[in-house]
Amino acid sequence: MTEIFITGLGTVGAYGSGAESLRRVLAASELPAPSEVDRSAGYHLAQAPRKALLLDPALLREWVPPGEARRMSPPSRFALAAARMAFRCAGLGEGLPDERTGVVISTAFGPSSYSEGLLRQILLEGPESASPILFMESVANAPAAQIAIASKARGPSVTICQREAGALLAVGQAAADVAAGRVPRALAGTLDEMTPLLHSLLDRFGALARNSGPDGTEVARPFDLRRAGFVAAEGATMLLLESGERTASPLARVAAWGSAFDPTAPAVGWGTGSAGLARSLRRTLDRAGIPLESIDRIVTGASGSRSGDRVEALLLKEAWGDLPLPPVLAPKSVTGEYGGGFLGAAVLAAAGAPFGPTAGFEEPDPELGVVPHDGSPLAPPSTILVTSVAAGGAASWLVLEAP
Amino acid sequence: MNHKAVSRRVAVSGIGAVSGLGWGIGPLWEGLRAGRTAIRPFQRFDHSAHRTHLAAEIADTSLSSDPRCQRLSLADRFAVFAAAEALAMAGLSGDTAAPLEDAGVWFGSSTGGMFESERYFSEFLRGRWRNARLRDLAAQQVNAPGDAVARWFGVSGPVSTVSSACSSGALALGAALDAVRSGEVEVAVSGGSDSLCQLTYAGFNALRSVDEGPCRPFRAGREGMSFGEGSAVLVLEPLERVLARGAEPLAEFSGAGSACDAHHMTAPDPSGAGAAAAIEAALRDAGMPASEVGFVNAHGTGTPLNDAAEWRALQRVFGERAGELPLTATKALLGHLLGSSGAIEAVATVLCLRHGELHPVPGCAEVDPELPVSLVLDRPLPLPGVRAAVSTSLAFGGSNAALVFSRWTNS
Repeated sequence: MTEIFITGLGTVGAYGSGAESLRRVLAASELPAPSEVDRSAGYHLAQAPRKALLLDPALLREWVPPGEARRMSPPSRFALAAARMAFRCAGLGEGLPDERTGVVISTAFGPSSYSEGLLRQILLEGPESASPILFMESVANAPAAQIAIASKARGPSVTICQREAGALLAVGQAAADVAAGRVPRALAGTLDEMTPLLHSLLDRFGALARNSGPDGTEVARPFDLRRAGFVAAEGATMLLLESGERTASPLARVAAWGSAFDPTAPAVGWGTGSAGLARSLRRTLDRAGIPLESIDRIVTGASGSRSGDRVEALLLKEAWGDLPLPPVLAPKSVTGEYGGGFLGAAVLAAAGAPFGPTAGFEEPDPELGVVPHDGSPLAPPSTILVTSVAAGGAASWLVLEAP
Repeated sequence: MNHKAVSRRVAVSGIGAVSGLGWGIGPLWEGLRAGRTAIRPFQRFDHSAHRTHLAAEIADTSLSSDPRCQRLSLADRFAVFAAAEALAMAGLSGDTAAPLEDAGVWFGSSTGGMFESERYFSEFLRGRWRNARLRDLAAQQVNAPGDAVARWFGVSGPVSTVSSACSSGALALGAALDAVRSGEVEVAVSGGSDSLCQLTYAGFNALRSVDEGPCRPFRAGREGMSFGEGSAVLVLEPLERVLARGAEPLAEFSGAGSACDAHHMTAPDPSGAGAAAAIEAALRDAGMPASEVGFVNAHGTGTPLNDAAEWRALQRVFGERAGELPLTATKALLGHLLGSSGAIEAVATVLCLRHGELHPVPGCAEVDPELPVSLVLDRPLPLPGVRAAVSTSLAFGGSNAALVFSRWTNS
């Protein structure tokens, strides 16, 4: 049986570039300094949040030089930088041993700034003003293609768009490709950029935390009674998955993956079908021969979303039944929503990285009954469940084992 | 899914489609068989300022009086219609059908509800927020058509949307094949959906990839693609399950493969190596030698570079047979359905296998002497003994996919 290991991790976000930057903020429960969102275009409502977790473009120069970056959208740059970090982390910084490498990545919104620019040209200036460069980089799979071109990765190239569930779906599909022997390695990950337009629209849908912290700042409060939305983020995280034959010092083993759908969910919200999702999760674990009791850490995708955290909590409660939940981590309290910090945090959790107390969490929500990690020392992990539920009904999960 | 997987043979038990040829499989097959193109002047949006003026538009965009449709984008409606037809054909919908609890949805889409969200952005970007309806924007999600299908039919298994430009539908079908084979689901509802929108219409025109007339795949003097819209859905089930209930499979879904050119964002690798690798991977997945393939439904966009690269790929895989292998290009009749093209061409391939004849492309223009394919012209080509066929999809960013279907015979 083919074993699949995560041998490389690359990440870039408001916390900086590289796994060590992410590890540091997670250990300290230290929210990276949020950036002022540019409101000059006038997209935002007056009371909309003002900040988001944006990355410093200067972080990318080491990985994607300006001459290479000039024909890429921001998400392509994020993705390529994270991919190169992952390759270097896996000891493949000088190049891939052969071209049999797959690229399976997800994005919730695609290259938003280029799509917006193209729409502006078409709708406001006329269709003949449409830029071919903007168009070719506005497609959702542009980042995957740029990674493949830059690294000569000629295996399957797949881009998944399934909102917040996409990252784990991508890891699962990449793992399936490696397990089936289609490729000996695959890059899997997720990316998103947070443009002023997207930020303003997420707020109009009521998704963002507003004035929830001291001094009117925005704070995500996963699983908290007073949670009222998430803090939007951007960035990319890429993992290198390899079959068991070349695994010098893996970060984690991919033990199982699965997904399900809640058909009661509306197109832009969450439904009431947590029991069905829980049954599907149990089925994934049963099929993989993983007893529930063996899971000693859960990394949730809880972001501070009022309804999303509720579904995620009830899904776990239903799945565990009378059994006590293992420690529950909610790294989006630090990484924000989107941009892949959550995925990087999950791998670091499997690798035994320390996590501080859940930022923003103060008061348990009695309906949810989930109290996230309080920062007390945890025993080294063995089996980690990673979950993510998406607006619209999709849910996905992954089981990682410590190396 | 996990990697302790089984492997089962997979049947196509139902198909559904909506395209420029009409709503349903009936009008689709009738039009394909007649070689009748749906590419013509269209009304969806004002294209007077665009460079070209044709598309294979779905003229009647009403679906039903069901109030649930009012919140769906056109791409969602197309998807729900195609899925309903496919599930009904498979005997998996209606009052007596079992719930689709063991089902999953794998869909491809390039732009989801972009047509509707263009209305929103048209107002929003001009600062006229009060006129912009958030509902139009909510429809824009690329995952919306697949989600709409899952929601409509109460699917509670995996739902995943691929958005890898023009190979999205084929890649989604490949993932669905894996899921049924491995036992992850008992039923996969898989396909794609896209509607015409200004973003892609203007974008491809900006690349000068669009023919001012109807597209002419593999013909001398071809100048580019034509746009289409619509949805196609295939219902996939374990072969044994279909046979056990006394149903007849429409075809066997034998294999899928994909590979990347890693060459250029918009231009295919002229050597055809990436597309050939995808076809070879699909044949390997099917456990089938290239000699068993009886025809090819080519990606065949009609762009000079794409068709040339595809011909080189066919030469790499089929050698001297490449020029003799009967070939069709569904896009000559339906236009390019972008993220849904791989799905509707898979449906066309299944129909051709089932009827034992290959649908033609219209017109009498000379086949490009540089690409001497055996293009089926004007009338269907009888292929009574055909056993298997390959359908190819080649996308932006060099994402290539190929699907292998086998004719189902009781023997």
